Amino acid sequence: MSKYSRRDFLRKASVLAAAGTLPISLVEVAFGESHPKNFTFAFISDSHITQTKGNNFVENWDRGLRRSVAECNLLDPRPDFIIYGGDIAQLGKPEEIDHGLDILAGLRGDVRYVMGEHDYYLDLGSHWRKRLGPERYSFDHKDVHFVVLNSILTYPEWTHKQWDGGMQRMLQMARLDNPHGSPFMVGDEQRQWLQADLAKIDKATPVVVFSHSPIQKIYKGWNFWTDDAEQVQALLKPFDKATVIYGHVHQIQYNQIDNISFHAVMATAWPWPYPSTYKQAESHLAKLTVPMNRADPFFERDATGWQFIDMHSGNVDLRYVLPGNTSRRVAFDEEAGRPMDTRYQGAMARIPPRNHY
Amino acid sequence: MKHRLLAIPLLLAGLNLSLSALADEFNADDLKRWQAGFMSTVKSGEKLFHGGINNPNTMSCDQCHPNAANTHPETYPKFQQQLGKVAVLGEMINWCIRNPLKGKPLALDSDDMAALQAYITWERRGVALAPGKH
Amino acid sequence: MKLFMLTGSALAILLSQTVRAEPLARISHRPFTAAAQWHALTGVRSVGMLDVVSATPARPSVANVSHAAPLNYLATNAGEKSWLGLPPVPIPANNPQTPEKIELGDRLFHDARLSADGKVSCSTCHDAKKAFTDHKPVSTGFRNLNGTRNAPTVLNSAYMKTLFWDGREPDLEGQSMQPPINPVEGGLADHQPLLAVIRADETYPTAFKKVFGVSTQDIRMEQVAKAIASFERTLVSGDSPFDRWRYGGQTYALSKAQQRGFKVFVGNGRCVSCHRIEQTQALFMDNRFHNIGIGFKKIRGREFTVAEAFIKAKHAGADVDKTVLMEKDASELGRFAVTEGLNEVGTFKTPTLRNIALTQPYMHDGSLKTLADTVEFYNNGGRLKEDDPVSPFLSGGIRPLNLSDQEKQDLVEFLRSLSSPEIAKATGE
Repeated sequence: MSKYSRRDFLRKASVLAAAGTLPISLVEVAFGESHPKNFTFAFISDSHITQTKGNNFVENWDRGLRRSVAECNLLDPRPDFIIYGGDIAQLGKPEEIDHGLDILAGLRGDVRYVMGEHDYYLDLGSHWRKRLGPERYSFDHKDVHFVVLNSILTYPEWTHKQWDGGMQRMLQMARLDNPHGSPFMVGDEQRQWLQADLAKIDKATPVVVFSHSPIQKIYKGWNFWTDDAEQVQALLKPFDKATVIYGHVHQIQYNQIDNISFHAVMATAWPWPYPSTYKQAESHLAKLTVPMNRADPFFERDATGWQFIDMHSGNVDLRYVLPGNTSRRVAFDEEAGRPMDTRYQGAMARIPPRNHY
Repeated sequence: MKHRLLAIPLLLAGLNLSLSALADEFNADDLKRWQAGFMSTVKSGEKLFHGGINNPNTMSCDQCHPNAANTHPETYPKFQQQLGKVAVLGEMINWCIRNPLKGKPLALDSDDMAALQAYITWERRGVALAPGKH
Repeated sequence: MKLFMLTGSALAILLSQTVRAEPLARISHRPFTAAAQWHALTGVRSVGMLDVVSATPARPSVANVSHAAPLNYLATNAGEKSWLGLPPVPIPANNPQTPEKIELGDRLFHDARLSADGKVSCSTCHDAKKAFTDHKPVSTGFRNLNGTRNAPTVLNSAYMKTLFWDGREPDLEGQSMQPPINPVEGGLADHQPLLAVIRADETYPTAFKKVFGVSTQDIRMEQVAKAIASFERTLVSGDSPFDRWRYGGQTYALSKAQQRGFKVFVGNGRCVSCHRIEQTQALFMDNRFHNIGIGFKKIRGREFTVAEAFIKAKHAGADVDKTVLMEKDASELGRFAVTEGLNEVGTFKTPTLRNIALTQPYMHDGSLKTLADTVEFYNNGGRLKEDDPVSPFLSGGIRPLNLSDQEKQDLVEFLRSLSSPEIAKATGE
């Protein structure tokens, strides 16, 4: 009792309370989930590098990506790999993609890439493929089957219209609230490829799909949408455990549809409002999502971030690293059978900035 | 002579005017025209909002605010940290132009500012006033 | 682990219940009496003190303790108005203000015997004649050992929600307990020698008995901390020329240059982002932590190794307070050292700008000597020179400002207007 000081108490309390921000090694030990097949990977997404003129880029987006890379490099132990979730560039220019890849080259670890619409629609992925290879592929890692989709394709009639150059098509896709846009999809051909790919996989093997679009139908007006979502979900249904991790929406979202968990990731560039805040239209976001804190525009990194994911027993435990904000942790809850925020799921735990209106 | 004199009130009647309507008794036609005038300003505002504001960062308002979401026009005037005082919507718009966009602010009484505010509030129509709300 | 926590929370509850809540002494119900007392002491006419309802009297002079000119003891309980431009000082329920407690805290604050060599007191680094700083880049303590961090002013620290540059203590009470046992500050191995000095003193035990109701042997560090915190909660200063101009309606309180500087402060300078000014009050701080690029060069390229080494040591039991003040590298980790948040590397607490012209040098390592240097640093977007590399951990909001020379000068002039006249007088400015 005599050695016990208030400061010790505070220190211990803060260690446990800050569990959402601790390096992974400490969390594994504390929760006794140490297992050779558990592993972590990092996820950085939506940097939207924008060329302003010549060798100049929008500093804000550059900084967002650089910061995520620097913070990710502090992870100890190192994640097994890093996923980049799409939209390296803002308008898909080779300069933008190259500049983004230059910054990402600073990452300590292997990086795999997911296509975003901002990377694709200028040249239909030509520069991307030159630098990064196929836009869809799969790989296995520690008994988990990973699939990377190009889920930002759209109707061929729209894609191959008589555009006045690729930039015109790109600008149409770049505008989120475009009334003349075209919805994202995985597409027939790719779904067939996915079906064949999954056919070889044991149904007990956890499957994780990396996609840019949500593989759900959230809000069509902003293309928070995958037109053939149900068909893709049907392909994942036979599995015991499937997870979809997607970018594009620049906000925290999570959902559970039958056996499939859905997790959105943050953008390093800028946040987007929740569709429900647009009062002239209807949207469908899963109720169980505890929103991110509403962005304070005065701090450019507010409501941006990156994430690292702890995979254990095929379940995803996703930690959001949010500059200037309390980190968030959304993990699959065995009892509830769906992802839950580990601290703020209850209504009483929320703070005013989580009220989006 | 008589028929000419008659022609005037008939003409006026045809034009739905009356010599005795001196006060501002606007009618359905007026409303239609004025609404059309307003909507044309909303349209100009939409253009400005979607890439029409010149800025060295080549950014546009809709990048962060699709359909002007998350602008909360109904909450102004309100205290804004960054301005250190209670501010009106136009001042906040100018803050955005100057900071994320690094552009030149608009005069608060300019047509462009009116157009932007017309578009922003139009996209927020129906939401109750909540001045000061954060 | 769990048992520890339960014991700890029980302890916390016990602590809060054993200290009797004593009512604030309402010495003066007539404002002019308090003002007259104040005038008699300092020769200063009290301007801008709104609605003085209760005041604690000046300390009776105690022969064997030397201290600088007394400051305003008008800390009041929540709900009553205090200084122009400042909100009421928050007083925790478990440590209410009493005149005797404040006086005791004042003595302890200035008592150098409470250190390993009898030469270091709180006032060594927080000197009233230097606006409660020491005007050194980093402080020197026991055996003239250098620490790694600049001594922040105690003035207006009562409004802070965390203490120290990295916020490692949640309140003034907690903060006061650390320096005596830091090897480069007080130099004591633990608090026992300090308590022994107090118990053996001629008058301390009587004071502790009166204030806390404890017998000599039961005097504990928590009570010392409370008394010191109580005293510190009186070290509040508002009513600067800025306050009179902004909140007091005195349009000529600021010069033209200072008024232009205010425009820069809330405009192109973007200072108000973190150094908050509000509609009816201004604390000039936001209780948050930011990385503005200071000290980045020191561990550039080695952030991972430094962070890894620190975390390993910390989890093996190393004390954060001691490590960050003794190891230059670790000191640069800022708030990360406390929270281990990957998003808080190199972040430090926003200090208040009140009296900033009197508390040089600036930043957590004291590396910026003058206000002009500081403005230049911010103007360059968080670096000393325009072409220095930018820290990747830089907080949002820090960017090149492209201020004109005139704007920079005006901004510095404005910052000078944030000094309370009484404080300026005490520092001989």
